[in-house]
Amino acid sequence: MKLLLVEDSERLQRSLSTGLKKHGFAVDQAFDGEQALSYIAVNQYDAIILDLMLPKIDGLTVLSKLRSDGKDCHVLILSANDQTEDRVKGLDLGADDYLVKPFAFDELVSRLRALNRRRSGVKNPVIEIDGIKVDSVARQVLFDEKQISLTPHEYQLLEFLARRRGRVFSHDQLIDQLYDAGSYVTRNAVEAHVSALRKRLNSAGAPKLVQTRRGFGYLIE
Amino acid sequence: MYSIRNRLNYTIVASMIVVLAITAVFLYVRVAGHVEAVFDGSLLNKAHSLISLTELDEEGLEFDFAEEGVMLEFQGGESPEYYQLWEQGVDLLIKSPSLDEADLPRMKTGLGSHQYADLQLPDKRAGRLIEINFMPRIEIEDDPDDEDYGVEVPPGKPVTMVYARERESLDDTLFIIGATIFGVIMIVLVISGLLVWRLVGRGLSPLSNLARQVSAIDESNLDARLIHEGDQSVEIAPIENQLNHLLERLQSAFEREKRFSANAAHELRTPLAELKTLAEVAKMVPDDQEQVLGFFNDVGEISGQMEKVVITLLELARSEAGLLHSDPEDIVLSRYCDEVWLQAVNGGGNGKSLVKHIPEGLVINTDREKLGMILSNLFINAVSYSPDQAEIEITAEIRNDNVVLEVKNASTDLKPEDVLHMKDRFWRKQKVQGDNSHSGLGLTLVEALAKIMKLDINLRLDNQQTFMVTISGFHPSLNQ
Repeated sequence: MKLLLVEDSERLQRSLSTGLKKHGFAVDQAFDGEQALSYIAVNQYDAIILDLMLPKIDGLTVLSKLRSDGKDCHVLILSANDQTEDRVKGLDLGADDYLVKPFAFDELVSRLRALNRRRSGVKNPVIEIDGIKVDSVARQVLFDEKQISLTPHEYQLLEFLARRRGRVFSHDQLIDQLYDAGSYVTRNAVEAHVSALRKRLNSAGAPKLVQTRRGFGYLIE
Repeated sequence: MYSIRNRLNYTIVASMIVVLAITAVFLYVRVAGHVEAVFDGSLLNKAHSLISLTELDEEGLEFDFAEEGVMLEFQGGESPEYYQLWEQGVDLLIKSPSLDEADLPRMKTGLGSHQYADLQLPDKRAGRLIEINFMPRIEIEDDPDDEDYGVEVPPGKPVTMVYARERESLDDTLFIIGATIFGVIMIVLVISGLLVWRLVGRGLSPLSNLARQVSAIDESNLDARLIHEGDQSVEIAPIENQLNHLLERLQSAFEREKRFSANAAHELRTPLAELKTLAEVAKMVPDDQEQVLGFFNDVGEISGQMEKVVITLLELARSEAGLLHSDPEDIVLSRYCDEVWLQAVNGGGNGKSLVKHIPEGLVINTDREKLGMILSNLFINAVSYSPDQAEIEITAEIRNDNVVLEVKNASTDLKPEDVLHMKDRFWRKQKVQGDNSHSGLGLTLVEALAKIMKLDINLRLDNQQTFMVTISGFHPSLNQ
């Protein structure tokens, strides 16, 4: 899941992006409204974590601008403003969720996962395909009730494709969706991750889930 | 709670009832008195006509009105009248045939006078009588050819005459007069009551309109203003204007309070969120020494920032509680400004410099510590909110035995309306990315300290380009 974290506090940026990356999110960071809009213009995000009191352009203006530009990514407002009218204003302008500072980090992660499930249309946090269970909360994969050990990148790739069954994703789309803007990831790296994922599933006796469409990309049918 | 309209209606109607009742009684008494007087006058006239038909001659008293065929009303019939005469008030002389066996009452009236009284007539009707005591007219024959000429007439004795007739016609007239007056009064009262109800309602409609508009205003629409419909009333206009001013102040205070809450929430919640996230994320990367060490540095910075906010808030609380006092001493202003500048920018200052226009050797007598806090806050703000390479100017002038200090800097994006909010707690024009040194309390503290030091502080923006803070009221040292 690819996120844009818009927050002017460098310290909060640092700790949040560390934690979110640890949970498998790809995180881009913007420190003011202007920077956020320029990121949004060129990248596809599953969700945006948006502070309201931002330098240059405030959060609500960023929100209304991205909605008026037709961007449908989920927006979670993360603000110190706890008044009902602030929440109502934010949600009415097109935000999908509102979390007041200070917050529990785990709650933020759960809300992001919930937004992701809403986006993919799969409500169950555990996706089961051909006996393989992908648990997005525990971030683990089971086959025959036995855990298959995956690296964070392999897990991300599997969960991403599992949530979007039947859709083909090219190398570039996978790089764009699974890795943050600061990461230098090549097509070869994606191929390596797909190959490693297949091997791990195969060694656990699981069916071959990830298919290749030559010239197009990868999918789970 | 009472209704002004109802109270006015009831009071006016009650007053009208009293006034109309008094008028009705007065009118009735006057009219009834007059009618009764006319009735009594007719009684007296009839009595006089009877007296004129009473004469004393040599044969004694003669009553011409008692002759047969004269004054038939005394004979009986449907509506008879009555008379009775006594000599010296005792001996019955004559009475009308209509009395039959009955007698009329006597009241012992003095000679030459008369009086009236009500009575019940022998035929059971209500009646009224007049009693007159008179000397009968003496008939002396002065015709020598008459056989009675020269005959001696016996001396006259006082005669008491009572004449009575029914008074039902009078009572009927009085009743009609009374009923007419009462009816007219009632109609006037009803019409007046309705008019009063309507007119009072119309008269109070601007007040009702005002009350309706005021009731519709709550905290969600404090931007609403009272508007008048039609002509402005002299009585309501000042109330409306004052209420509108009050609403403006209330709205302004409400918005200030909301801004304060939002700003305070931001200033206090954000560092808390940072601390909480740092703690939670640090647990996820216990083996990443570099990361954890960085987090500890962040915790230290956040603590310092929160400490600064808390100390400033405590200083403000102490100043408001009157716990801070001014402790003046002589200060060489130019040198002290340099010291405070160096401490404030702490070797930084982003290439910005302090330009002083302070007479060398100018010594002022003021509280060193508080002046330092004021200047430090002004310098930090000037450095943070001025363009790159800007010059921060400080000027000191002696005006009317007072030293006036002015700190000015080019501003980046200030607007005149911003100046109104600058002293509000936690107010900031815009956050500067990555700069957590400002909490929006600096100018609030400067104002509080200036108040303690009995200084006047004035903020202004010239041509939307230069922001100036003027502090006046410093005293030059007496030892200069």
